Amino acid sequence: MQDELKPTGKPLWQALIGAVLTTVYLILLLKVEEQSEVIGLLAGGAVLLLLLTKTGHLGGIGNTLHSREGALNLLVILGTLAIVGFFYEDHFTLLLIATVMLYVLATLGLNLQFGFAGVLNFAGASFFGIGAYTAAVLGAHTAVPSLLIILVGGVMAALIGCVLLLPVLRTRGHYAAVVTIAFALLFKTFLEVNDILGGPQGLQVPSMKVFGWDFNNNVALGDSVELSFYFSYIIVILLVLIAAFVLVRRVERSWIGLNLDALRLDETAASCFGLNIVRWKVTAFLLGNFLIGIAGALYGMVGGFVAPTSFTFADSLILVSIILLGGIGNVWGLIVAAAIVVIVPEKLQAIQEYRFLLFGGLVMMMLLFRPEGLLPRSVRRYFPGGAER
Amino acid sequence: MSNGISKKYSGIALVAAFAMGMAISGEAAAKDKVKVGFIGPLTGGVSVNGIGGRNSADLAVRLRNKDPKAKYEYELVVQDDECKPNIGVQAATKVAADRKVIGAVTHYCSAVAIAAVDTYHKFGLPVVVWGAVLPDITYGNTYKEVHRVNGTMINQNQTAAKFMRSLGYETWAVIHDTTDYGKGHNKYYSENLAKEGGKILATFGVTSDQQDFTAELTKIKELNPDVIYFGGLTPIGVRVRSQMEKLGIKAVFQGTSGIVSDAFVEGTGKLAEGVVAFREGAPTENLPGGQFFLEKYQAEKYDSPPEAYGAFSFAAMNLVLDAIEQVGPNRKKVRDVLNKTSGRDSIVGEISFDDHGQNTVALITKYVIQDGKWTVWEDSDYAAGKRKLVGQK
Amino acid sequence: MDIGFLAQYLMNGLMLGMMYALVAVGFTLFFGVLDVIKFSHGDVLTVGAFTALATYLGLEQIGVTDPATQILVMVIVSTVLIGGLGAVIARTVILPLRSAPPLNTLLITLMLGTVLREAVRLFYPEGGNPKPFPALLPTDSVTFGNFNLRLDNVLMFGAGVLVIVGTQWMLNRTKLGLAIRAVAQDEETAKTMGINFNLIVFITFALGSALAAFAGVMNGLYYNEINFGMGLLLGVIGFSAAIVGGMGNLYGAILGGFLFAALQTIGAVALPFASAYKDVFAFAVVIAIMAWRPTGLIQEKVSDRV
Repeated sequence: MQDELKPTGKPLWQALIGAVLTTVYLILLLKVEEQSEVIGLLAGGAVLLLLLTKTGHLGGIGNTLHSREGALNLLVILGTLAIVGFFYEDHFTLLLIATVMLYVLATLGLNLQFGFAGVLNFAGASFFGIGAYTAAVLGAHTAVPSLLIILVGGVMAALIGCVLLLPVLRTRGHYAAVVTIAFALLFKTFLEVNDILGGPQGLQVPSMKVFGWDFNNNVALGDSVELSFYFSYIIVILLVLIAAFVLVRRVERSWIGLNLDALRLDETAASCFGLNIVRWKVTAFLLGNFLIGIAGALYGMVGGFVAPTSFTFADSLILVSIILLGGIGNVWGLIVAAAIVVIVPEKLQAIQEYRFLLFGGLVMMMLLFRPEGLLPRSVRRYFPGGAER
Repeated sequence: MSNGISKKYSGIALVAAFAMGMAISGEAAAKDKVKVGFIGPLTGGVSVNGIGGRNSADLAVRLRNKDPKAKYEYELVVQDDECKPNIGVQAATKVAADRKVIGAVTHYCSAVAIAAVDTYHKFGLPVVVWGAVLPDITYGNTYKEVHRVNGTMINQNQTAAKFMRSLGYETWAVIHDTTDYGKGHNKYYSENLAKEGGKILATFGVTSDQQDFTAELTKIKELNPDVIYFGGLTPIGVRVRSQMEKLGIKAVFQGTSGIVSDAFVEGTGKLAEGVVAFREGAPTENLPGGQFFLEKYQAEKYDSPPEAYGAFSFAAMNLVLDAIEQVGPNRKKVRDVLNKTSGRDSIVGEISFDDHGQNTVALITKYVIQDGKWTVWEDSDYAAGKRKLVGQK
Repeated sequence: MDIGFLAQYLMNGLMLGMMYALVAVGFTLFFGVLDVIKFSHGDVLTVGAFTALATYLGLEQIGVTDPATQILVMVIVSTVLIGGLGAVIARTVILPLRSAPPLNTLLITLMLGTVLREAVRLFYPEGGNPKPFPALLPTDSVTFGNFNLRLDNVLMFGAGVLVIVGTQWMLNRTKLGLAIRAVAQDEETAKTMGINFNLIVFITFALGSALAAFAGVMNGLYYNEINFGMGLLLGVIGFSAAIVGGMGNLYGAILGGFLFAALQTIGAVALPFASAYKDVFAFAVVIAIMAWRPTGLIQEKVSDRV
């Protein structure tokens, strides 16, 4: 604890080594197939993490990075590019990485609602689904350009979210939870029994086309190197993700973020001080759903296929778990948590029918030993780069 | 760099596999390693069928690896599709994107198979479907990569409608799940039944995770049909049959190939008696190579039974392996060999693919559950007149 | 519609409602003492049902075939074991997370639910298959026109009523109940009054879980079929029912449970669209109710402490 509070002047190279190690670790994890190697890597990672936490190095690195946000962001982007570059022709791994990135994008939205404003949303996957289905319907039946479809996906999610505004605004705590839970169940059943949207079978989503260029074709660089078609998608997703990330960070650090914090911590007190509760709750809820919807639209295009089973209540809970695992409110934690939640069960395919059991157990352990999440949000600093006052 | 690492790992894997091969068969010659895939539902409600299929495919690979004449050493790559289309597409992408996988045996659930065929086409991976019965999987496209050893639901429902009418039944109520599987059955059965002059009083679509059917069944009770036609898989089938009893509905329970499983009999217990269902192909033990298959299956001590479609999975895997043996590990060539399959002997009978890669299975077997066993109708006490279904004429 | 069929629908709805209510009562108890959502509740119910089934098979093995004895032993074994499981869950999973953000409890119980469900599927012999559950209650029935009133349904419904009334009596009339209510109202004050907080938490979780086990056995006896996924939806619906009814007292849970069953039955039978839409209808009404009565139908009598 002592470490974390100390204003750090530790050199950046420590963080740099950390970033390189993380990147190499992720590459290895994505690369290995043998069951024993996967489990060995996971266990090794967990032990290393525990050791670093105990010795305070993790906190130190975290603080260094926190005080140099620009460096941190650059490292994350470079790391992502390194991993993507490494797997340039490996379709499946790239799909996995794209999925992680889209989950990060969606949870950024959820984080706005829940991590900042304290508005519960257990229907994240439903809004994700609205985006994806929008992409499927618009892509198949209209000539709307792909990039616009992504935006429309977000807008649709926000619009349909408006239906829930009244109950969400009026309820609190568990009562608010049930509103979104009911919506999540309703949405999935609706998709399943509804013939127009393909029923339980789902719909094909046309590929992304930008300026006449179909994203579903591999990209040939010279004669020998052929980039997977997922590569192009990942670049687009990365750009969207960076934009969303900047937006969310801006919001967090601005007076809007302050208002949202106040709202979450004590609604009654906030309204006593003249904050417009309704306005900020609505803003957070709609903006969050917008981001989730965008992620959904991209998800539809990348996967090429949407079905109700991708957007169940359980999937909404997965989104919530990413937030909790990452440390509520911490936007970088989301990246780590999303990677764990998406990649680990996939890598455990080797143990086939036992993987959900093991995954559930792993997450429980993690919560018991690190209940505040992997990277808890630090106390707001009013003077960026300086010490806390 | 990428190649360096993967070589290192595959080197380790090869050594390990080699050592294991030595230990098991005592065989010393080093063969080239070839990967083949299996995809089916290993978790979730129909996992029993998926695991049975996986074991059967695994059996085919194991037997082949023990065969000293085999040119290659095979490794089975298994993926779980959870019977969910989206997961299935992911699994298909994973298998198809792995260039070392030369062929695969894929999908029990129609909803998944129909979603995944595009992926196989995109990546050029030849696959043989082992359990999904929706016609569109082979007939809805012209993909050269997709084949199927089991029959489609069209034949099944033709026979079903004719047969049930011949027993003298007049009226039906239909319960089907709202996946493509259930909807397909509903469609083809309704069409065929109309031709045969039967009448459907009401149709209910239900979701696959529904537990309580009393509301639908009470409505059915009101209409009092002779037969309840159920288009869906084992888990809901068991629930519907059990709850019929609760409400005192005496109608005959007629199912599709989706409930022909040991799990259905076990799940319904005494209520299973007199349930009828239809499936393409002969029962495993009556198949030309059925006894051989079951013996080998027993010998490997798998902890769950092959279930109704295990034999198909086994036959499909053998087709893929034979093709690889014949032309080597090359996807395009293997695909072409598979396309030309005609009059091939297998444990499920002769296999011939038409120009859509569909095996023409003419034989539909009628089943009735008698004393807790799926019994071929013709061999049953019901056909012999010793027992009677409710309202049978 | 024929009055007989109407009665039949009513009976179906009542039985369904009773099961939802039993699950919802558990949720209300947990909210009361710890203010947590325990999402593994539905899967605890599943484990309860499978425990009862295993007990039954064991009894058959040792030659106990009297249905009344069988049911009694099944219910006792199942509720006691599952009650114990509930206490263990509270001890190992829920109390250690008290200082963490409250939603972590939600996540960890969610994962616990997955673990329980998968464990049943993988470790119960052939747990992936639906299992037949014996019909042990007398199935005599009285027929009124088209209505088939079965004795076993009446018995089960009666037992459910007794259990809920018993729980209510225990909460309101015994010292233990007083302690539970005290903890629910104000943990700190309760502690200073000499109430063993941890013990009360264990007891409450044991009680709630035992109720779930009871509901599981009832579910098995009613549908004569159980499967590893049965608790999933029951848990979520039970939770919704508890909230819609209002978390303040048990009546809310009961009201919510029966309301939900009624909505589903009406959605399936009386509305002009396909019966598959019944859940869409039921959940839409739930959302509407929450907009109308943000703290549940039976509102809590607490004001916000500033």
